[in-house]
Amino acid sequence: MQSTLWQKIYAWLDERLGLDNMYTGLLDRPEPLGNWWNTLGSASLFLFLLQGATGIFLTVYYTPSPDHAYDSIQYIMNDVAFGWLVRGIHHWGASFMVMVVFIHMLRVFITGSYKYPRELTWLIGVGLLLMTLGMGFTGYLLPWHQMAYWATTVATQIAGSVPFLGEFILKALRGGPDLSALTLQRFFAAHIWMLPAALAALIGAHLYLIIKHGESAYPDKED
Amino acid sequence: MNEESKKKINEKYERTLLKGERFWPDSIFKDVIMSFGIFLLLILLATFLGVHDSPKADPSDTSYVPRPEWYFLFLFKFLALYGQIPVLGKIEFIATIIIPGIAMGLLVLLPFLDKTPYRYYTKRIFPISIMSLLVVSMVTLTLMADIPTTAGEGIYIPGITQVIAGLIVPSAAFIILTLMNFVFKTTSTKVMIWTTVVSAVLMITFTGATLALAPVTEKTEAAVASTLEERIVAGQDLYSVHCVECHGEDGKVTTIEGVEGLEGKAVMAINGKDVLYTLNDATMAEVIAYGRPDAGMNPFGKAYNPEGLAKGEIDYIVTFMRYMWDDRFERPVIKPLFPALAAGEVPSYDVHIAPIVKRYCVSCHRPGKDSNAYLMDTYENITTSGDNAPSIKAGDANSPLLQVIQGTPIPDPDNPGQNLVGVMPPKSTLKADVIDAWMRWVMAGMPRTAEEAAALSTTPTP
Ligand code: HEC
Ligand code: HEC
Ligand code: HEM
Repeated sequence: MQSTLWQKIYAWLDERLGLDNMYTGLLDRPEPLGNWWNTLGSASLFLFLLQGATGIFLTVYYTPSPDHAYDSIQYIMNDVAFGWLVRGIHHWGASFMVMVVFIHMLRVFITGSYKYPRELTWLIGVGLLLMTLGMGFTGYLLPWHQMAYWATTVATQIAGSVPFLGEFILKALRGGPDLSALTLQRFFAAHIWMLPAALAALIGAHLYLIIKHGESAYPDKED
Repeated sequence: MNEESKKKINEKYERTLLKGERFWPDSIFKDVIMSFGIFLLLILLATFLGVHDSPKADPSDTSYVPRPEWYFLFLFKFLALYGQIPVLGKIEFIATIIIPGIAMGLLVLLPFLDKTPYRYYTKRIFPISIMSLLVVSMVTLTLMADIPTTAGEGIYIPGITQVIAGLIVPSAAFIILTLMNFVFKTTSTKVMIWTTVVSAVLMITFTGATLALAPVTEKTEAAVASTLEERIVAGQDLYSVHCVECHGEDGKVTTIEGVEGLEGKAVMAINGKDVLYTLNDATMAEVIAYGRPDAGMNPFGKAYNPEGLAKGEIDYIVTFMRYMWDDRFERPVIKPLFPALAAGEVPSYDVHIAPIVKRYCVSCHRPGKDSNAYLMDTYENITTSGDNAPSIKAGDANSPLLQVIQGTPIPDPDNPGQNLVGVMPPKSTLKADVIDAWMRWVMAGMPRTAEEAAALSTTPTP
């Protein structure tokens, strides 16, 4: 049989990677009839990736220290080519992500898609919602401006009102009695390493479960 | 759930799949359009709305009203309203931990609490009602977030409507719905839907009333200088007000003159390499914040001086000193203090005189400084205050102010040989265009706004 070079390369790769299996397993799947509400999960995923990409660019110039954080952001906004665009997308993208993830949760709730066999998908989803809020909370402090500084002071105080454990939580969040360079450093670490890593892992599990069980159909009167 | 209903669910699902679509390309197509739409919207927002600016964090400025990200606003508002409840309101952790904890717990446990196989909407009225009211609460609390919860003493009607909209109606609705569901198990679906709808309408109405009644508090946030040029100009203005009396307009003073208690004191010229090369930005900011108390320079930082400068303001001064005096920095092009005057054009207070006064005069002529009680902080004070007021009379070229800025002191009639008022500013001379602006302004009758000035201007006929 005569085959072109490309076909040969494809066949070689398919033999080793199982591309055809991937196609039938991942892409050519049957699904119940969906509508636009079903796009919110993948929109959350898109926003997560977009936040990752823009965030990586921001870390090139951002400096997590109280003396330089604010100025480094000013520099990104005024002097870096397209810095304003990247930061603007990251800023608005954060708000959008919280909103889209929340509405995605609402749609899953309303259609009762958290029921058998998708209980775990929901459980992981709640984890994703919390992490997303955590990303918003830790990211807000990073520009080290007045609004963020005082909002974080109050928010950590609130966490400190837990009976018995309050003192410990407050210290763990702030890295000391007050907001300081240590607070900024650990919020930065959480924002760019810990939470994204946890989010990525949970998203992986979430997606695995969705492919395994398929998307739920919209309920009719018999359900 | 027993094996039989599981089997039924799975079989039904297989049947719906046969009538369904393919993930590729049907679903993916919609997903891509959605994500792309969001991406476009983000670019538009980033381009046209940008990112809201706020001044640099200043740990000493405890008067700042904190404001979290908008999606946490509803929690802050809830806490504020909860704090209004007598007795219970004092037990903070109920609102900060217990209630949000219960809400999250319910969310986590939802699949295990609601174990029925029913998925159709009318068979799940109770959870859907509770969730809808929660969402309405979050929205209304967010809308009311900026309205003060209390207003000191007396009856404050927006305060009452807020508590009704944000606490009383939702709690009552949650309790009624729970009772309907678990105690009077026979409540019809219709009654529950009506309860939910009526509660939601009440919450929205009282929120609307709050928004209509509440006095709009104007939020004044200090303007943020963002470009380098704006920061340098902001620094120059601050420097002119706070530092000129000792260090001189261009920082080259080496012997302080005319400052009480420091007369004749020798200082280093702060515009020279000795100072600029040995102090980096951080130490420079520290010197300004902490002052040189032993040598006579008082502290300027808010932490040491309640009326002092914010951290960001001190940084502006440092930026100004660097770019204007330090020869290692390239001096950017700075807009002139005021727009140049054409022939026949009359300057106004707003556009021309106010910036001049701010830069050259206010440092000595402001409340708290004894310069013949002549305050130059407002239009009224400039025209009326002072021991020998008025210092300027409209249309009078011999006004004392015009004389002293042109280097002619006013002699004291009672003490021959002494001056009543020395030349102004005492240790430097104003540039010719500044003096010209003063002259034209006084001669034209001291117009305040640019419009008034424009009406007085004459265009020279060519
Ligand atoms: C009341 C008079 C006074 C005022 C106002 C004042 N200074 Fe000073 N400043 C001094 C004196 C006195 C010294 C000590 C000079 C010395 O030791 O050589 C000093 C020292 C300094 C030094 C450090 C020089 C060094 O290397 O030690 C800097 C920088 C400085 N001032 C900047 C400022 C700035 C900026 C402002 C305005 C925010 C300001 N000063 C306002 C009196 C004043
Ligand atoms: C370094 C401080 C300083 C600066 C800067 C300064 N003044 Fe004065 N001014 C004084 C003092 C001190 C007096 C009190 C009279 C005297 O000692 O000569 C005074 C008095 C005056 C008076 C007389 C007021 C009266 O009612 O007796 C006028 C007018 C005046 N200043 C105008 C100006 C103008 C206009 C500027 C800005 C271009 C200016 N001054 C900048 C310190 C200052
Ligand atoms: C970073 C956040 C999240 C991402 C990236 C994400 C991603 C997705 C995707 C791609 C789907 C399939 C398409 C769809 O139904 O929209 C999905 C389905 C689902 N998600 Fe999420 N999700 C996130 C958060 C959540 C949250 C907060 C919950 C609930 C608490 C949740 C619960 C579910 C459930 C139960 C399904 C199955 C829906 C069905 O089969 O109809 N997810 N998710």
